[in-house]
Amino acid sequence: MAAEMALVKPISKFSSPKLSNPSKFLSGRRFSTVIRMSASSSPPPPTTATSKSKKGTKKEIQESLLTPRFYTTDFEEMEQLFNTEINKNLNEAEFEALLQEFKTDYNQTHFVRNKEFKEAADKLQGPLRQIFVEFLERSCTAEFSGFLLYKELGRRLKKTNPVVAEIFSLMSRDEARHAGFLNKGLSDFNLALDLGFLTKARKYTFFKPKFIFYATYLSEKIGYWRYITIYRHLKENPEFQCYPIFKYFENWCQDENRHGDFFSALMKAQPQFLNDWQAKLWSRFFCLSVYVTMYLNDCQRTNFYEGIGLNTKEFDMHVIIETNRTTARIFPAVLDVENPEFKRKLDRMVVSYEKLLAIGETDDASFIKTLKRIPLVTSLASEILAAYLMPPVESGSVDFAEFEPNLVY
Amino acid sequence: MWSVTGALTVAVPPTAAACRTKPFLISSSFPKQTKKLHLSSPSLSLPSSHFSSSFKTAATSIEQQSSVNKGESTKYHFLVANAKFMLDEEEHFQEQLFERLRYFGERELVQDFWLVIEPKFLDNFPKITQRLRRPAVALVSTNGTWITFMKLRLDRVLYDSFEATSLDEALASNPTTLEFDKPKNWVAPYPKYEPGWWDTFLPKVTQESAV
Repeated sequence: MAAEMALVKPISKFSSPKLSNPSKFLSGRRFSTVIRMSASSSPPPPTTATSKSKKGTKKEIQESLLTPRFYTTDFEEMEQLFNTEINKNLNEAEFEALLQEFKTDYNQTHFVRNKEFKEAADKLQGPLRQIFVEFLERSCTAEFSGFLLYKELGRRLKKTNPVVAEIFSLMSRDEARHAGFLNKGLSDFNLALDLGFLTKARKYTFFKPKFIFYATYLSEKIGYWRYITIYRHLKENPEFQCYPIFKYFENWCQDENRHGDFFSALMKAQPQFLNDWQAKLWSRFFCLSVYVTMYLNDCQRTNFYEGIGLNTKEFDMHVIIETNRTTARIFPAVLDVENPEFKRKLDRMVVSYEKLLAIGETDDASFIKTLKRIPLVTSLASEILAAYLMPPVESGSVDFAEFEPNLVY
Repeated sequence: MWSVTGALTVAVPPTAAACRTKPFLISSSFPKQTKKLHLSSPSLSLPSSHFSSSFKTAATSIEQQSSVNKGESTKYHFLVANAKFMLDEEEHFQEQLFERLRYFGERELVQDFWLVIEPKFLDNFPKITQRLRRPAVALVSTNGTWITFMKLRLDRVLYDSFEATSLDEALASNPTTLEFDKPKNWVAPYPKYEPGWWDTFLPKVTQESAV
């Protein structure tokens, strides 16, 4: 689980007129939560949740609008969905095939460090060092959150669906391996994430199972595209290969891609999540959430991407377009991200967001800051809503297409 | 180059394993299929070809069990689509094949998957052939479970299987030159994979013939 999805809560406010449970989303508490999140929108310092030794004082974790999130879900509903006694339509052959693929464990021997790592870290000084530490920390947190969710699902589904449970456990193996590799990277910079502390202290976002499927599928597939793009770029431009971890992205990204395939199979096994108008609305909603979150995050950290020789916005648009094409194989509707207007909206969101951050840095009284933020939040919200309302692209797996017998391959 | 005997000897174990599993999958999936047909909404109803395909597979599976005992033929599973899609547009497909090849090398496993360009066995599948743009490419393997996984990944491919008494027979193809237009607007921050990457996965006998 490589991508972050921080905007989901505030975005759901703006989409509520089209959701199936409007009253749930109109509650005052939710709205006030949004305001508080906006108020603390400045990014946490890189050393948040990082300690030089286990005995060091632990800082309280700062949550911001775009911080990587931890997720939990309705495990009882998950058990019901994949109970082989209750649901006779599960495609066992597909899950058996996935299980075999994960058991193969293509990367069992791959994430091994060498002395190059420490040498490279020591050469990274100045602003780039700090930026890199933040990259490692955020990536580690994101991978670790995937590990926690999959491990728990693997444990909870063991009785009702041992095959699906084992697949979740094997995916948590992959995520733990990724998180561990990143955390060892932090040790090159004399830092370490206290993952045990994170497990207990972080706030967990609750998602119902169907949202876990949309969100996690996208997260894994966009992770694949981010990692493979960075890998292929650096392979052609080795002068920017400032830290050896990027050499491992080729194998790493295939793990992410396979994880996404599993969520494809999970969704296919529950066609009610793919075959009606609500599914189309939610599909587009999650696509937008993931793309906007990534774009705002990366533009805010443009120095990192430029530091490894990429044009940040071009990189993000490439990742968004390719992820959208991949997602069109399973989601019943996706956004029209190749419409140039979509990028223009993203760029306007970046402008609003950067101004919001700047307000947070000023010495104004909090009341004044709040007043200044209102037009910017309004602008951001209206751009997001407008992007959501752009005409979508119809899509989905050919397995569900009514016209499949007439398709030419 | 594989001898016919060698190929059969090496190829049989995974097939035998798949065959042992297959009858149970078929017998259990048949009632499921029927039930699904009754329960599913119109948009999910299976085309008749799918139903007949399942039935055919069941029959084939019985023959397969008998044949394996005699050591006469092997079951080959395949996914087929046009070459433009498989070899030019789906770049992750190339990555997966090389990953699997690397894995087989690390574990000293014998390769059990190949790419076949314009395979002759398509002549036996007229219903598939009429739905293919040409030139066509097939991913062929004796590992049916892996082919099921690849179907999930690729989605826009057609699946089926057949029996063959030799690897050469199974992987026979009609000579074809592949050329793909360069994309008009390549915006990725890296170059496209070089054409010809698929040569690694073509049956060796074909490559020797070419020489």
